[in-house]
Amino acid sequence: MTKDERTTSTVFIQVAKAVIAAFMGIRKQSDLENDAANLKPAQVIIGGLIGAMLFVVSILILVKIIVNLN
Amino acid sequence: MAAVHGDVHGHGHDDHHPTGIMRWVTTTNHKDIGTMYLWFSLTMFFTGGFLAMGIRAELFQPGIQILEPELFNSFTTLHGLIMVFGAIMPAFVGFANWQVPMMIGAPDMAFARMNNWSFWLLIPAALLLISSFFVPGGAAAGGWTFYPPLSTQGGLGVDMMLFAVHILGASSIMGSINIITTILNMRAPGMTLMKMPLFVWTWLITAYLLVLAMPVLAGVVTMLITDRHFDTSFFNAAGGGDPVLFQHIFWFFGHPEVYIMILPAFGIVSEIIPTFSRKPLFGYSSMVYATASIAILSCIVWAHHMFTAGMPTVGQLFFMYATMLIAVPTGVKVFNWTATMWRGAMSFETPMLFAIGFIFLFVIGGFSGVICAIVPIDIQVQDTYYVIAHFHYVLVSGALFALFGGAYYWLPKWTGHMYDETLGKLHFWLSMIFFNMAFFVQHFLGLAGMPRRIPDYALQFADFNMISSLGAFGFGLTQLLFVYIVIKCIRSKEPAPEKPWEGATTLEWTHLPTPAPYHSFETPPVVK
Repeated sequence: MTKDERTTSTVFIQVAKAVIAAFMGIRKQSDLENDAANLKPAQVIIGGLIGAMLFVVSILILVKIIVNLN
Repeated sequence: MAAVHGDVHGHGHDDHHPTGIMRWVTTTNHKDIGTMYLWFSLTMFFTGGFLAMGIRAELFQPGIQILEPELFNSFTTLHGLIMVFGAIMPAFVGFANWQVPMMIGAPDMAFARMNNWSFWLLIPAALLLISSFFVPGGAAAGGWTFYPPLSTQGGLGVDMMLFAVHILGASSIMGSINIITTILNMRAPGMTLMKMPLFVWTWLITAYLLVLAMPVLAGVVTMLITDRHFDTSFFNAAGGGDPVLFQHIFWFFGHPEVYIMILPAFGIVSEIIPTFSRKPLFGYSSMVYATASIAILSCIVWAHHMFTAGMPTVGQLFFMYATMLIAVPTGVKVFNWTATMWRGAMSFETPMLFAIGFIFLFVIGGFSGVICAIVPIDIQVQDTYYVIAHFHYVLVSGALFALFGGAYYWLPKWTGHMYDETLGKLHFWLSMIFFNMAFFVQHFLGLAGMPRRIPDYALQFADFNMISSLGAFGFGLTQLLFVYIVIKCIRSKEPAPEKPWEGATTLEWTHLPTPAPYHSFETPPVVK
């Protein structure tokens, strides 16, 4: 694995963690400072939009399952 | 919050400003414009309040006593529109104008002339709204949400209202672009995003919501206008349109709008509580993330306003679940405020009283919101006084209480004089008692089935309505006390202490003299 690939996957995981934390509204100060130092706003915004879509899809799947149960 | 270094400088030479009426007409100074926004919103608050008094006077007893039904409907419609677009929103923009540049160490707003234009647009809009009562056919009477077909049928008053909403929307968009640009580009050296006071953070996120939501409102208003005057049929079933489409578009704007009115209130409370608890805000980072989360969620829950309009079960369940999930980040905020107060050296000056009153009553409003989110319950309480009680707990004891708290908190900085603490506390307690008297009983009225937007009601609702009206009259009169306190504060001869709140840590308290000079931070402070 090259250094660039490692960096990309690390960034991806960090963005994912930041977005999940944002959706719950809970984040440690140290993690926040780490986010602020390492992530670009565009990465977080794109991550947030993807997170919002996943969130919508997951509620839709839940709703479909519940409706089909009855 | 941010640690700051350097001394408070003498700013006497910065106090030069133009005088006379032209100072206000042509001003590009953020403090002048902030002041005008605040006076405008206070005026509109009393205009909308007058309409509320008319509504409650009519509902004091069953039967028609004071207002004809058509005029009553105009009163409810204009009360909602004026309070939302004329009072609460401009008041928060006024706070942003005063506070954002001072809190981030900027000399002024980014687009100073556009700032002037955003304010002065409010005046014709307000005149259109108020004067629409005096045109043939009277003011709009289809509710503040102006659903078609009522809004496609009304007379000139509806056109004036639609034009006013267009203008107010344009003003809001300009205001929010200004706020975003100021915050992103004009922060003092060292004031990183994550060191910004929470009031600035909440306004940044609110401004993005405004930029997102207001053009949608402009779109739906334009579609209504073309339906009314240019023979289109967007919302006319006879022409192949769909009135429910209006509801979807309106609430796609309308639900973020709810958060536009509450997020800056969260910001103000998040400044007041740490100051009077003498502790840093608990979970600053969580607060920022929770605000972002609430903003995102607010865009995917709009149809919970329309559960009874006809919707597939899948849609109802989706919007019900999504809406209930907003309680998670909102709960995080409430717990963080509580944790900030926990073991703090608390004192209970008027701003703190309003902030604690905010938490207490906003939680009640939040819980009744979760109840309304549950589809089977909402179908029962839709369009009843339960909903009226819910959103007044959110907007009056939420947004308005935060505005009062913020006004008392920053009045010494704005005017250079201290307000009367005894009268301030009296204002809080009277507001608290009369507010609950006016609105708590409306939960019972709603559960018993009393519909909203009616001038008359069945006899079994009489007692609670009388209590509610008495509470509303008391609440209205109490707000005159607020005006007296503000005027007394402005005219006071006694200068306020340089830093009346020992726990305050934001730049306007640590780096600027009291009162704030006309031109502040011409040289940016260094934030470490």
